[in-house]
Amino acid sequence: MRIEQIQSLDETDVARGLLRAPESVAAGYPSPAQDYQTAPINLSEYLIRDLNSTFLVRVSGDSMEGAGISDGDELIVDRSLTAGDMSVVIAILDGEMTVKRLRLINGGVVLQAENPSYPPIEVQELSELDIWGVVVKCIHNV
Amino acid sequence: MHPQRVADPTERAGRDFIGLIDVNSFYVSAERVFDPKLRDRPVVVLSNNDGCCVALSKEAKALGIPMGEPWFKLAASAARLNLVAKSSNYELYGQMSDRFISVLLDCTPEVAQYSIDEAFVKVRGTMSELLSWAKMVKDRLWKHLGLPVCVGIGRAKVLAKLSNRAAKKLDHLGGVCVWESVPERHGEQLLSNLPVDEVWGIAGRMAKRFNAMGIETIQQLRDADPVMIRDRFNIVMMRLVLELRGVPCLPFEEATEIKDQLIFSRSFSEPVTTRATMEQVLGIYAQRASARLQKHHRQAKVVTVWAMTSHFNADGAHGPSVTIKLPSATADPVILTRAVKAILPKIHEGVRYARAGVVVTDLRKTGLEPTFDVFADAHEDRGIGPLIESIRTKLDQPAIGLGAAGLKTGPAWEMRREMRSPRYTTHWDELPVVHAV
Repeated sequence: MRIEQIQSLDETDVARGLLRAPESVAAGYPSPAQDYQTAPINLSEYLIRDLNSTFLVRVSGDSMEGAGISDGDELIVDRSLTAGDMSVVIAILDGEMTVKRLRLINGGVVLQAENPSYPPIEVQELSELDIWGVVVKCIHNV
Repeated sequence: MHPQRVADPTERAGRDFIGLIDVNSFYVSAERVFDPKLRDRPVVVLSNNDGCCVALSKEAKALGIPMGEPWFKLAASAARLNLVAKSSNYELYGQMSDRFISVLLDCTPEVAQYSIDEAFVKVRGTMSELLSWAKMVKDRLWKHLGLPVCVGIGRAKVLAKLSNRAAKKLDHLGGVCVWESVPERHGEQLLSNLPVDEVWGIAGRMAKRFNAMGIETIQQLRDADPVMIRDRFNIVMMRLVLELRGVPCLPFEEATEIKDQLIFSRSFSEPVTTRATMEQVLGIYAQRASARLQKHHRQAKVVTVWAMTSHFNADGAHGPSVTIKLPSATADPVILTRAVKAILPKIHEGVRYARAGVVVTDLRKTGLEPTFDVFADAHEDRGIGPLIESIRTKLDQPAIGLGAAGLKTGPAWEMRREMRSPRYTTHWDELPVVHAV
């Protein structure tokens, strides 16, 4: 059997209400918190300043332990920011994306690891450096 | 500087300009953002099933590789040429395209996306303001997204397109061009050197007709009598002539992004020969159709399903098709999946089908007409479609599906993407890796 058309009820909501019982019926004392309800915390809102220019990357290696960045952590990288002295940056070195601390001291440009076993890399000029983005947050796996 | 803030208010009236921004070799450029090793190397991106080149880097073009070249012809010499091929990474390109449009919207409120990597914008200002705005947009897209673009600005869409082409071809312009600021002598020289088929919207056959009446260059076309062009050709060609003269005739926004039908069809990487496999294929297409309809808030009233053998099939061609009228407009995956099964009795076991497709037509906005089909749609309100989509996005595409489409066991016919790079921006397990060494 197929019903092609039923026109007697024009309010669909009414029709649905007649055909189906509501799934739960609210009864009892109303929640005292109902006037205070707002949206739950949205992590993206707190961690990401600009959704368009922000990318996530994953760390491989332990050279940034001193900056609280461990192997396997995820980094939140904002490409729209301009790197300055002490910024943790993603730099392109030999075709690889590499995470380092940028130091601008006395006209010198240095990419530092935060682990004594890795030597710093000196660069002649900031313009020679290919900086992919600035690290703003680290998601550390505890 | 923002070109909408014009210093001299008298300049504001009638100073609307159209800009066209497009990403240079978009697919290749998107790959290069996350894989710096691909920079300066010849790179090609391949079509579905790794068939042929659909995007070429500048370096690949320099090797003389034509657009559309089949990969099997190049594979053997790739190593010698230092050539890299990538399967289409639609998840990545789609995401980068969305970001491209969002960044443009930060630069001007009026943006009309034209394709995955091109958008028209409306801008206002003096020549120098427009020029510095164009440079600002170019720099911002490069810094924020790592995408290289060209910006062309002109009084009309056709001029914006022409201007964009000049920005791309003439290195000294640095990737930006405002047509009206090009010195007249240079502009005229350019127009007298460019053949008519360089005009947006004029293709081979039309160009031949122009040539036959002595119109060889864009300059000659612009200077032709628009009324004569209308009489000899049509109103569309007359509009192009007027646009070349700086009179805007084309609407800024194209018609609605979603047309009156959606098509899902693919060639299989290997032929489908059983009814059971065909059911699985069509089930997946039906569910993709459902997802796309829901995304655009549309419902369909009619579904057409077809399958086809290869043109080169020695045993003779077979191409069954069925059109199903749905009881009411829907985007529900259960109903669509059920509907496409109507073709299965017409599928012959053992025949080698090379393509199949699902077309949904007679589309309307969701909720435009009340659905009252109690027997068929009882589950529809439970949001099965969006639920499936959210699971497929969170996990992986084959994580869940309805009926045979949910089977995990090897759909051998599925698209081949063997050289696909990680889906860097959409999948948690495929994030780009940065080295801490």
